Amino acid sequence: MDTVRKNRKFSGAGAAMLLLFTVITAVTLLPFICIFLASFRPGNEIMSYGLGLNLDFSRMNLDNYHMLFFGENQNYFLYFFNSLKYTFLQTVLTLFFSSFVAYGFAMYDFRGKTLLFGLVLLMMTTAVEILMLPLFLEMQKIGLYGSMWAVILPQLTAPLPVFFFRQYLIGLPKDYLDAARVDGCTEYGIFFRIILPLMQPSFAAMGIFVGMNSWNSFVLPVLLLSQENRTLSVFLETLLSPYKNYYDILIVGAVFSVIPIVILFALFQRHFIAGMTAGGIKG
Amino acid sequence: MKKVLALLLAMTLVIGCGAAFADAEPTEIEFWTFQDLHIAFYEAMAEEWNAQNPDRQIKLKSTPFPFEEMHENLGNALMAGTGAPDLVDIEFGKFANFMKGDIQLLPLNDIVEPELDNIVKARVDIYSKDGNYYGICFHVGAAVIYYNKELCESAGIDYTSIQTWDQYYEAAKTFKAANPEKYWMSVESSDIWHMWPQLAELGGDMTDAEGNATINTPEMAKVLEYNRKMVKEGLAVVAPGTYHHAPEFYAMMNEGSIASIVMPFWYIDRFTDYMPDLAGKIVSAPLPVWEAGEKRSVGQGGTGTAVTNQADDPELTKAFLGFCKLSKEGGIKLWQTLGFDPIRTEIWAMEDITHDPENRFVKYYASNPFDTLLQIKDEIVAVNNNEMLPTVLDTMKSVVLQKVYETDESIEDILSAAQADAEAEAF
Amino acid sequence: MRRLKSLLYSQRLAPYVFIAPFVIVFLVFFLYPIASTIIMSFQRVVPGQTSFIGIDNYRKMWNNSFLTALKNSAVYMVCTCVILIPVPMVLAVMLNSKKMPAKGFFRSMLFLPALVCVVVAGITFRLIFGERPGALMNSLLAAFGAEPVKWLGGPVRWTTMFALVILCCWRWMGVNTMYYLSALQSIPEDLYESAELDGAGAWQRFRHISVPLVRPTTIYVLTISIYGGLAMFVESRMLFANTEVGNQALTIVGYLYRVGIRKMNYGLGSAIGIFLLVLTLAVNLIQLILTGFFRKE
Repeated sequence: MDTVRKNRKFSGAGAAMLLLFTVITAVTLLPFICIFLASFRPGNEIMSYGLGLNLDFSRMNLDNYHMLFFGENQNYFLYFFNSLKYTFLQTVLTLFFSSFVAYGFAMYDFRGKTLLFGLVLLMMTTAVEILMLPLFLEMQKIGLYGSMWAVILPQLTAPLPVFFFRQYLIGLPKDYLDAARVDGCTEYGIFFRIILPLMQPSFAAMGIFVGMNSWNSFVLPVLLLSQENRTLSVFLETLLSPYKNYYDILIVGAVFSVIPIVILFALFQRHFIAGMTAGGIKG
Repeated sequence: MKKVLALLLAMTLVIGCGAAFADAEPTEIEFWTFQDLHIAFYEAMAEEWNAQNPDRQIKLKSTPFPFEEMHENLGNALMAGTGAPDLVDIEFGKFANFMKGDIQLLPLNDIVEPELDNIVKARVDIYSKDGNYYGICFHVGAAVIYYNKELCESAGIDYTSIQTWDQYYEAAKTFKAANPEKYWMSVESSDIWHMWPQLAELGGDMTDAEGNATINTPEMAKVLEYNRKMVKEGLAVVAPGTYHHAPEFYAMMNEGSIASIVMPFWYIDRFTDYMPDLAGKIVSAPLPVWEAGEKRSVGQGGTGTAVTNQADDPELTKAFLGFCKLSKEGGIKLWQTLGFDPIRTEIWAMEDITHDPENRFVKYYASNPFDTLLQIKDEIVAVNNNEMLPTVLDTMKSVVLQKVYETDESIEDILSAAQADAEAEAF
Repeated sequence: MRRLKSLLYSQRLAPYVFIAPFVIVFLVFFLYPIASTIIMSFQRVVPGQTSFIGIDNYRKMWNNSFLTALKNSAVYMVCTCVILIPVPMVLAVMLNSKKMPAKGFFRSMLFLPALVCVVVAGITFRLIFGERPGALMNSLLAAFGAEPVKWLGGPVRWTTMFALVILCCWRWMGVNTMYYLSALQSIPEDLYESAELDGAGAWQRFRHISVPLVRPTTIYVLTISIYGGLAMFVESRMLFANTEVGNQALTIVGYLYRVGIRKMNYGLGSAIGIFLLVLTLAVNLIQLILTGFFRKE
């Protein structure tokens, strides 16, 4: 009797939620479908008449994709590889330095620790947009302006990864360290040989978090990179200019920039969600 | 077109060979611009320069930027004293930003002054400060009105008979009666090209000669009231995409839904490039006036090319700039490649150049663009350019015009608030 | 040399070596920029003739454009917080429910927009909110028999704000839902079961178990939503493609950018930056006090 009642309830509430989530998913996917369909049509038409759910397949063709790969693509792939390079460098360096710093915060007691960790939290609640003007001027002054390092260095010990790694490391038993010290390991040896391997699961999550942020970042790159070092998102924005007509490459380029990430997401879904919501895990 | 290509090709060959024998290393000139088309012009001129000056070879290294970014980077590099190019395009509305403090651009008096009698002086005056010239314009940018001749005729309107804004308004009503779905005129809610000439005819301007903002003036109110009336009565449309450079606007104009727009001469290549369906239908004409006797045009917009104080070889860079912008061959090329009204006025009367039947602009237009230019030759006034202008333009584009055309707020209130805003932001 | 090395390797100095990278980055790329902003905010900065002008920049800052920017940013922040906290919470509860079919699929779909960079999202939404009849929003209106609307830069401000808020919801709904989902998953199942045995309905279980137990997540999401909302800039820049029609999408950072970087008025730009810094810190502090963040510690 009891099971029957439960099952009936299951189907009723379940169906309602199914319906609700189907609608939400449809709305969420609509912009993707629109822009994807638009990539098969002339960009100028899209800019002139707006982006809609145009299902007129007779007017679609692969011209834009042909242009992207073989035609005058305005150096699209230069910027694509810039983005890859930047994302790689930023992710590797940020993970390394942030875990290094986090280890210091997690495993030692030292004078000024509370204050310094307070500064990490302060940085966490300060949007980089506020600093854009002085950073812009500073980079020019120290000669880094234009190079990728101008974007990478300020985020080397990003507050969120530091916070996250520290949280993770606090959970590790400290006995390890003393045992290692007894064995004659130096403080740094402990970090490199024992701790880094132990941190691998957290690296996956943070790697995705930092990697996604880098691939998609816009404010610092648009301010600080020179023309030849521009990343893909900055390049795409430049195509919106009224001084030229590069709308074909704009639309198809925008669509193509999303495809690799969607594929990666499909493969490593669990890690993606864990990584991008890493900040929410509270200790 | 083919001819030009062949000529270019031949030139490249000659220069290519010539360069191989030149013993001196070419001097590199770094050039920044926000307009890709300018690069093609400068590169063609660099080839010509190298052909004429075998002992002073140059190598142009051009970098295109988005509009805002280029000016931002330039300001920053000039402030820092490093990282700026040798030669740079600075847009008219931004130029005054670079006239503050110790000026980081080089005076061009030694190349400009000998040519003053041959050029429209106003087009170097707008880039000058305290008697020094810091930039040379690409064009005069004479304001004209473009009509879609076919649309006018379909409503029985003879555009040549429209002499005043009152007649223009009457024509608008006639046109609307015949074409209820179409518009006689288009105004911009985020740009000033459509209304600045109307203001200049009245003797008004964005700023006065002393560098004060002049937003809240009777002239400004009169112009905006007139345009607002056109919009509210359905005679004018607020340009889709908010200004006359938006793809949405090009599409609507191209469909033949708008009969006329006020824009500078340099808008000529927007028609040929973005509105192909209007070929053979567009004519230009002198602007209507408020009262007989007013000057019918004003130099609009423009880009001053300047030499920075970080230039490696200032003399060579200046000489090259003069060759591009002040010489006769430079002026001719500006018309042929970019469709500009050259600042060297003798070219306007060179019929073989201006009426060349192979020229793509001549082919496109239903009347010769230079006919209009010659009619208004002595009526092209200049606007004031000073440190207040960028702020005033900003206020006009971001607040005033949108409120005037899209809302019912009183124009008096809009203007007095905007005047106060501009004064507060001035620096 | 040897002593130096042993000092460097000593357990006393090691923590400082470990946190040194952070300290350097903090000093060079955080403290120095902020200090120079504070100084510049009292200056008139022009090439070769920079001078101190007292609080002039702070006085000039209070003009209509700035107030519009402040209002836009505040409205945007409030709208996004009001939508992007309760709705994801409810969605997460549903996704966490045993009765929900195809959880994994919906979770992925909801998350998809977070993968798209703001530039691509901005371009897409600008075109979806196009004013011509062919754009998606207007063709939806047409399906209901309504006239096309000029969404961006039109006669009323709220349509622009609507577009901005929709863009934000589209991008962050999935992420926020995942935050809540992971928080809900850590709540022990038997809490709900015993509540159900005591006769608590779905709403009561949500109200008295889920909401209080995900409070840390709520605080976190609220904190990032506040500073994200107040610092929003790229979204409005993309929707308007560099035109600033009617200041309808002007935000505080947008105004900072316009004045400080575009017009090179570094002094006034710096004053705005300092104002924004103080504002975000103050709002977050108040928020943390009200939500009882400090009480818990």
